[in-house]
Amino acid sequence: MSTLSGSRWGAAGPSTLDPERVRGGGLGDALRAYLAAVRLGWATEANWTDPFLFFIYSVAKPVSAALILVVMVEIVGGEAGRAFRGYVVTGSALWSFVIAGISGLAWSVLDDRERYRMLRYLYVSPASFALLLVGRGTARLTVGAMGALITLAVGVVVLGLPLDPGRVDWPLLGVAMVGGLVAIVVIGILMAAVCLQTRQDSWSYPEAVAGSLFLVSGAVFPLAVLPQAVQLVGLATPLTWWLAGVRLALFPDGPSVVGGEGSAWALLSGSTAPTSVDIALALLTTGALATLAAAAVFRWSEHRARERGLIDQTSGS
Amino acid sequence: MTLAELPAAIEARGIRRIYAARPTPVVALDGIDLDVPAGEFFGLLGPNGAGKTTLIKILTTLLGPSEGWARVFGFDVVRQAKQIRRIMNMVAGGEQSGYGILTVREQLWMFSQFYGLPGRDGWRRVDELIELVGLEEQRNQRVSTLSTGQRQKLNVARGLLNDPWILFLDEPTLGLDVSAARALRALVVEWQRAVPGRTILLTTHYMAEADELCDRIAIVDRGRILAIGSPAELRRLVRRESIFRLEVDHLDGGPAVLAGLPGVVTATAAARDDGTAMPGADADQRVAVNLVLADDAALAGVVGALGQLGSRILALRKAEPTLEDVFVELVGRGFDEEAVDHPPDEVEPAPAVPPSAHGPGAPEAREVAR
Repeated sequence: MSTLSGSRWGAAGPSTLDPERVRGGGLGDALRAYLAAVRLGWATEANWTDPFLFFIYSVAKPVSAALILVVMVEIVGGEAGRAFRGYVVTGSALWSFVIAGISGLAWSVLDDRERYRMLRYLYVSPASFALLLVGRGTARLTVGAMGALITLAVGVVVLGLPLDPGRVDWPLLGVAMVGGLVAIVVIGILMAAVCLQTRQDSWSYPEAVAGSLFLVSGAVFPLAVLPQAVQLVGLATPLTWWLAGVRLALFPDGPSVVGGEGSAWALLSGSTAPTSVDIALALLTTGALATLAAAAVFRWSEHRARERGLIDQTSGS
Repeated sequence: MTLAELPAAIEARGIRRIYAARPTPVVALDGIDLDVPAGEFFGLLGPNGAGKTTLIKILTTLLGPSEGWARVFGFDVVRQAKQIRRIMNMVAGGEQSGYGILTVREQLWMFSQFYGLPGRDGWRRVDELIELVGLEEQRNQRVSTLSTGQRQKLNVARGLLNDPWILFLDEPTLGLDVSAARALRALVVEWQRAVPGRTILLTTHYMAEADELCDRIAIVDRGRILAIGSPAELRRLVRRESIFRLEVDHLDGGPAVLAGLPGVVTATAAARDDGTAMPGADADQRVAVNLVLADDAALAGVVGALGQLGSRILALRKAEPTLEDVFVELVGRGFDEEAVDHPPDEVEPAPAVPPSAHGPGAPEAREVAR
């Protein structure tokens, strides 16, 4: 074995302990840590098979889910159902993004603790724990985005969705996508906080939560068909406004997610459907509230996990 | 920063850690006070369940203390965890951790990024450490294909990535074969000595490992530190009695006949030097005896008695006490003997050492005079 001569990057040289080390490197360090976590997430997410098989796996699931829903709605609804084709395809495509994003973050806690047994080493590194989890989840989020895009493309090409790039509300689409992405990450952080408190059997929690949100956020049917109280829950969810924003931006003539005669939105606002500005403001407001709540819950969860010794506690321990 | 300017590497006062467990909580640490100066190779020696790993978890900011406080290089483990994480690292043994899908190089590089090394420096550091721990041939091999020893080398390389001021080694040689364990010990000693102030806290239940590596050792049992000192100082704790190893050509009645002699504390059978059982069924009737005498003067009586019994002395040597002897003396049981579980609300101090030796009462942590 050769000799390690000491610090090769410290300002103080190799013969003493470097006091600069205590200060850390700020934003640069954070970015480096995030990008490394993204790379790790991608490696653990996609490296189990060859790229072609991985692509098929990642795309087949959302496309088939969207097609099944379209067939169901059109069989049940007939001509009326056909009018919802764009609504259903968009919602289904975007929802695969939601599931991927939420479970990606939450599962990175379980994966790293149970399977790789590296969570403790990540936790005691100087990088932000939450940032590392977001980085780990980014890969799955990317895979989800890829599936969503291809599902939409299949909808346009195969099902003939009336997507006209000239009529797309690009600013609204941009705001909705950024806001939606933040909302998904925030909910993922919340689920990661929950998984930090639980053991191995919590793999299904993120999908269970995503499934519940699926019902109340207008993913495949407008909120107006739900009871008023449930509609109010939906209106408080940023994912509802994200879906509403994307749909309105892509298909301006399509059915509204939150509006409609007798809907909770109509009763609260006096208008039958929200405008682009309403949607953007609602998305920002609910997104900001969700972010604050997630930050508080994650902080509490991390503190509790440390107090109770849960960071490195596995099912076998 | 010179050694004199550095604060203590570890300061801990009144650390208690209680785990919520059913039916009753478990007291893992029960009032630990500890001072480790910068630059020391310090060992925590104790059996499984003594609380060593719990203490390491607290000092590495992985776990909060239930009571008390601790500082690492002056930083509080609860309030200043971020600063501590920048200057420390930890390596645990006996585990199969690692991202199996990554190569050795990729895994180390990833951690170099978590520790804030710029990309190019990170790769250089990774390659340097791969060479240092002897994983050159495995550098592009997936972690999942590494042997236990190779994984532990990788683990050590990860622990040195940020060139820590303090390295926590939790049973680092657990599960390693003899040569791998020896190489690892040599590596960490070399690393520590390369820069003044580098500190290592080692937990182990291998007596010889602690004896070989540590400047000072704390003997821990049931969440308490029973004694602290250099290996030599600790051994002096049991040197009140003289220990001899005796081998005779035969001994009618066995070692028991010596036990009743004046000044003989114990006389027990030992394995013969050639490792065979004794006395054998063959003509070889040699007997080896471990003698614990109140003092050296009692040996004359033993020699005289052996002459009267017609036994001829083949070998006689004075034995140095081992750390295991120290542990038995302090705890009242061997390292491999399980502690009797006590409900936490009835947790008793470890068995008291003889009052004549340590005074009455519970075995307080003893700083052995240098």
